[in-house]
Amino acid sequence: MSAAETTCITLAPGSARSSSSKAAYGLVAASLLFWVASVAVFLTHSLDELPLYFANRYLVLDPTSLLFVLVINTVFLGISVYMLARERSSERLARDIRSRAALTLLFMAVMNVGILLNHMILLWAFVEISTLCAAPLVARGDSPSPKASAWRYVLYSAMSLAITFLGFMCLSQSADLRGIEVNFLVDQLSFSLTMLKDGWQRLGLAFILFGLGSKLGLAPLYGWMPETYEAAPTSTSVLLAAVQYNISVVAVFRMLQIFHGFETGFVAQELLVMGYLSLIVAAVQIMAVRNYKRLIAYACVSSSGVIALGLSVGKAAAYGVVLYIVSNAFVKSLLFLTAGRLRAVYGTNETAPLGGVIRVMPFTGLLFTGGIFALLGFPPFASFLAEMLILSGIVQAGNLMAFTVMCVMLTIIFVSTGQAVFPMLWDPPSRSGPPVIESLVTVLPKMGFVVVLVMLGTYAPEPVTQLLRAVAASIAGV
Amino acid sequence: MTVPLVLCLIATVIPVFFSKISSAPSWLGLHALALGWITLHGEETLSLHTVLVGLEILLVRAILVPYLLRRALRRQPAARHNLMPSNLFTWIIAVVLIIFAFKFGDGARADARALTLGVVAASVVTAFLVLATNPEPKAQLVAVLFMENALALFETLMPVAWPLAVHLAISAVYLLTVGIGCWLVTETPVTASESAEISGEVP
Repeated sequence: MSAAETTCITLAPGSARSSSSKAAYGLVAASLLFWVASVAVFLTHSLDELPLYFANRYLVLDPTSLLFVLVINTVFLGISVYMLARERSSERLARDIRSRAALTLLFMAVMNVGILLNHMILLWAFVEISTLCAAPLVARGDSPSPKASAWRYVLYSAMSLAITFLGFMCLSQSADLRGIEVNFLVDQLSFSLTMLKDGWQRLGLAFILFGLGSKLGLAPLYGWMPETYEAAPTSTSVLLAAVQYNISVVAVFRMLQIFHGFETGFVAQELLVMGYLSLIVAAVQIMAVRNYKRLIAYACVSSSGVIALGLSVGKAAAYGVVLYIVSNAFVKSLLFLTAGRLRAVYGTNETAPLGGVIRVMPFTGLLFTGGIFALLGFPPFASFLAEMLILSGIVQAGNLMAFTVMCVMLTIIFVSTGQAVFPMLWDPPSRSGPPVIESLVTVLPKMGFVVVLVMLGTYAPEPVTQLLRAVAASIAGV
Repeated sequence: MTVPLVLCLIATVIPVFFSKISSAPSWLGLHALALGWITLHGEETLSLHTVLVGLEILLVRAILVPYLLRRALRRQPAARHNLMPSNLFTWIIAVVLIIFAFKFGDGARADARALTLGVVAASVVTAFLVLATNPEPKAQLVAVLFMENALALFETLMPVAWPLAVHLAISAVYLLTVGIGCWLVTETPVTASESAEISGEVP
């Protein structure tokens, strides 16, 4: 029995235990509330009614915010159920659960408001606040120096967001030189743009895309992502990869909506270069990596590359990109949560000591296999459909270079991931004894993510498809 | 407007060349005082909005944050190090970057606006230079705070001041950066129970 499992059995004394359980149940209740509220808004508002503005137009409910609020709250529900299940078996989490639950709730509140924001500077501030809320959670990881990892995460974020802010400064300068008053409300900012060639405007756009791209883990400023995702506790890795990632996606979408019809070629070129670089970097790193959590993190870098390439071709791949982003949130959640379970049982993130996972932990093994297939873009998962749509869009746009790079890099990633992961799943078990018993609560959120992925890849309900289409249409001006 | 801008520039440039990390809170305070001066004198008649923003700058940026930073740096051996490594190479790069920063501002217009833009750009590039040359987390934290002050200075260039909600959010970012940053970069002695915890499992 591993050290990790031994600690699972030693639990805290009764009163402390009951109070920590209350915190875990409270988190589940809050996440359920968030999820029910977002689903209710989705069901009660038709797309024709949108956008709706609130709080002096600082908040907006439009297809983009509605879709991402739904996605992050669904993921949050899964994370909170996972934390409840782990709190029962992990002494350390039981001790920490109150502060972790409070920080997670604060983080989610910031994320929900951030996604609804209709003001670019406020959105910028909320991305940074969400990073600062997540940093104490990252610092609870078990890397040799978790605080140092958390600090590097904060530092990278501060740098990339400072670059983004420089972009806003340049846009403001551009408008001022033309005698126009700039307003950073999303639906107003485009009025201060010009169709003419303007160096300040272009510089601003370049800085903003570069800064936000860094928050998405796009090369060259991608280094924080693998380190942070590996160093953070599992639930925090999911929060970062599937929740915080999406507020950065929203910020990029907002910029594309603002620049609808402006600087089209320039946006496409910058996204293309960052997409190529990210795919190449991810493919090379995945070939070398022997740590399953880090492998998932590098897969996130490659996903960002695919998204950037898809966005660069514009209308042709827009629907595929939106579907890819949504499915990616669930794929990452599924993979990180199963990786957390593996870590709890085997006590390591390395692939080498693990063997026969599918026999030792049948459910977790199967779910991890499913997650890997979804990550690699196999049918019937939504990622398959999304990748096909993106590739077809790239071909329609006539960018054969992007098509070739994407196909070659995804093939390398596919082979390297298989080489690293499949022996750990299928080899003879490295651990003696009967299979590990997995409770329904542990498996339930991951099963839910698989169902969503299959549903999106095979038959998505019409309202969901319409919502995805509406978001795709809003960004398709590139 | 020129005097506080020059003060801002001095508060950014001098510590980068000559100061220790431990004296950074005072320079940050001076930077914020100059920022407050610019904000309060930016308009001919003082509106409630301007007073509130000025107060926020003075209370948060000039008093609270330097105090928190000073407290975090107390008894830290690394605080005795230079903010930026003192060698001719980094000094030359810093001077060149500052000249470029003012060229960047000048490209716009040769007036107070150009000077402000130059000061903002100089603050940002010197902060990036500190980040690039000093691996010490405490120095990096100071650089990030200078950068965020520079972003606040940028607001004075706007024809209309940002709404209070935006100010509050940017202030929250600044306060959280110093609070969480200090906690993350401050070394605390590792107790036996903590080291046992580090080797234990993590959910």
